[in-house]
Amino acid sequence: MLSRQFFRSIHTNHVLCYTSKKTLLSKLRKKTGYTFINCKKALELNENDVEKAEQWLKEQAQAQGWSQAMKLKSRETSQGLIAMITNSNHGALVEINCETDFVARNKKFHDLAQIILDTVLKHSMTIEQDSLVKKTVLSTELINNLHANDGKNLSDHSALTIGLIGENISIRRALCMSVQPGAYLYGCTHPTPVNPVPSSFGRYGALVALKCDDDKKVLGMQLCQHIIGMNPIKVGDPKVDLPNDNIEEEPVMLYQEFLFNPASSIQELLQSEQAEVLDFVKYVQLLHFFITHELPQRSYNG
Amino acid sequence: MVFTTKMVCNSVLRQAVKQMFLVEHLVKQQSYGQLRAGSYLSDLITQRFYSTKKVFNRDKPHCNVGTIGHVDHGKTTLTAAITKVLSEMELAKAKQYAEIDNAPEEKARGITINVAHVEYQTNNRHYGHTDCPGHADYIKNMITGTAQMDGAILVVAATDGSMPQTREHLLLAKQIGISHIVIFINKVDVADDEMIDLVEMEMRELLTQMGYDGENIPIVKGSALCALDGSKPEIGRDAILKLLEAVDSYIPTPIRELDKPFCLPIENVYSVMGRGTVVSGRLERGKIKKGMECELIGYNKLIKTTITGIEMFHKTLEEAEAGDQMGALLRGLKREDIRRGMIMCKPGSMKAYDHLECQIYMLTTEEGGRTRPINNMMNGQMFSKTWDCQAQINLEGKDLVMPGEDTTIVLKLIRPMVCEKGQRFTIRDSFKTIATGVVANTLPSLSETERLELIEGKKKLKKRLAQA
Repeated sequence: MLSRQFFRSIHTNHVLCYTSKKTLLSKLRKKTGYTFINCKKALELNENDVEKAEQWLKEQAQAQGWSQAMKLKSRETSQGLIAMITNSNHGALVEINCETDFVARNKKFHDLAQIILDTVLKHSMTIEQDSLVKKTVLSTELINNLHANDGKNLSDHSALTIGLIGENISIRRALCMSVQPGAYLYGCTHPTPVNPVPSSFGRYGALVALKCDDDKKVLGMQLCQHIIGMNPIKVGDPKVDLPNDNIEEEPVMLYQEFLFNPASSIQELLQSEQAEVLDFVKYVQLLHFFITHELPQRSYNG
Repeated sequence: MVFTTKMVCNSVLRQAVKQMFLVEHLVKQQSYGQLRAGSYLSDLITQRFYSTKKVFNRDKPHCNVGTIGHVDHGKTTLTAAITKVLSEMELAKAKQYAEIDNAPEEKARGITINVAHVEYQTNNRHYGHTDCPGHADYIKNMITGTAQMDGAILVVAATDGSMPQTREHLLLAKQIGISHIVIFINKVDVADDEMIDLVEMEMRELLTQMGYDGENIPIVKGSALCALDGSKPEIGRDAILKLLEAVDSYIPTPIRELDKPFCLPIENVYSVMGRGTVVSGRLERGKIKKGMECELIGYNKLIKTTITGIEMFHKTLEEAEAGDQMGALLRGLKREDIRRGMIMCKPGSMKAYDHLECQIYMLTTEEGGRTRPINNMMNGQMFSKTWDCQAQINLEGKDLVMPGEDTTIVLKLIRPMVCEKGQRFTIRDSFKTIATGVVANTLPSLSETERLELIEGKKKLKKRLAQA
């Protein structure tokens, strides 16, 4: 009995060894998601010990990410998304860019966006509040040096994702908005998620600060969508601004037709709702053909 | 030098030389054409004196393929390699990497598209090869019909394996209805056999997960770079040929318009004294023979009759083919029975619908669209074939569509019109073209109450809901 087992193990030894090595590599790859070439290297360096190899990969990921990030630094990032987050009285908008819109739809990229959002929001809570509404634009340098919950800074996080995805990623701009009690902050992105969520991603994003007596979620969301759709330049002051002759080209929000009910203007809507728009911001992720428009154009007949 | 001075000085000589050159030019052109016809491709013949443009010959079936994959996995290198390998067999014009990579942004049909378009042929088929950079681009091309793909080549590097976004690439292929994919595992020159096998296994697994036939999808391993360099023919040139063979056999040839059941959107109706009623238009697809049965559909009518005569350029003919601008004489019909916008087709091949699921692309302001978004329940005029009809746009799961975006909508027409899957249309408001689209699915007809609500419009509906 014993000898039989012994012989069997010898007999299949070669095949077994081969398949086990193969499955080790695929196991490691499946578990970590790192590229085959790196997984193989990890196994070689750690004498086929999966756990050690995994640990090695994780240690290397940051360095790998950085070297990849340096390599891809010059590549243009024309796609991406706008991410928005709000809690009770703080909100943030962030634009993150990548090279192709396939990546912009990927879960890993969304995970990075979520980390950035949380970090920027955390930062916005530390900003001192001196007026009813405060809007702060963050410099790219500042954003990249912000520390996420796990202690790494945001540029480390994006380098990690670059290493994983193999495309250049950059945080283009970010902005925080805070309100004091008495005002409410609403935000949404387009495409708008069906169920209201504290943070969302899209190609357009808007934040609006409303002064009203109670929380008006529906109005807030609709106003955000109005800002995205109708593209007002400013809120406007009825004492100073005059309505434009052509309603189609009205840049002042108060005089614009309400997107969801063109029969009434925003001014009328706000009066009936007893609310006041204090301020708003809008971010647009430029479509790539808008960007190419800035490049020298070929003549076009038609 | 002496010759030139003489030529300049002596006007007679100059004239003579000029003539000599001209004659030589003609001779050169003629023999050039013959040479071409004799030795080169069978498809580039016919020489004209005023131009040396090649004439496209359709002796091989045409098929559109495209490459998809991660930016660094070598899509463009592969395309360049394919043209290079085929150019050695005189089946394509070799293209440099940079030529494909810096594809000019074209503006076709007033809609900006950004694709590289390369043509080549194998012994069996002629190919149009596209390489689009992004999801939105592919979708836009599919909707507007500027570039269609009958199959795709998914490029994946053996060193990296599938990337997180490969899933998105396959999702897109699914969405635009590509059911045949061939995989090319690239960069095998810098990977070892074990890795290549694992990449293959992984790809088959992923494809099965995404609803493709992962077990049987052809996978070719090679190195586009080697093929381009001309080194290591076993993984370079031969791999490319193997890939093309797989593409040839795995991706089916699309059915030509000519072989489909006939369809003629009616442009005009005439009554010809002593003969009867004639409808005219461009035969969109199929063939019509004298004596064929036909159906006329549209505007709540369905008339069955026989085609008793076909006419083109005031001459009768026995058979008309897709693309012909023709007139058809119909048996036993009055002029008032038919109107522009109806469709004449093979009986039972088409139907009228008033409820459609569509994919649309909303034009940007630069493309002639409007600045404001589309919101739910908006009305527009839908134009397709030769008809137009008022339609209501119903958005699903969102409140707005911004210019430059694509989305799925449900269209409700105020009366049933002839539609089918894959039919293209545009939507206009009173001033501008808002969107262009393609029918994704036909839905069950509207009920009587739904139709009444549709005609009543959105404001009245709101009012009624408010009262209730």
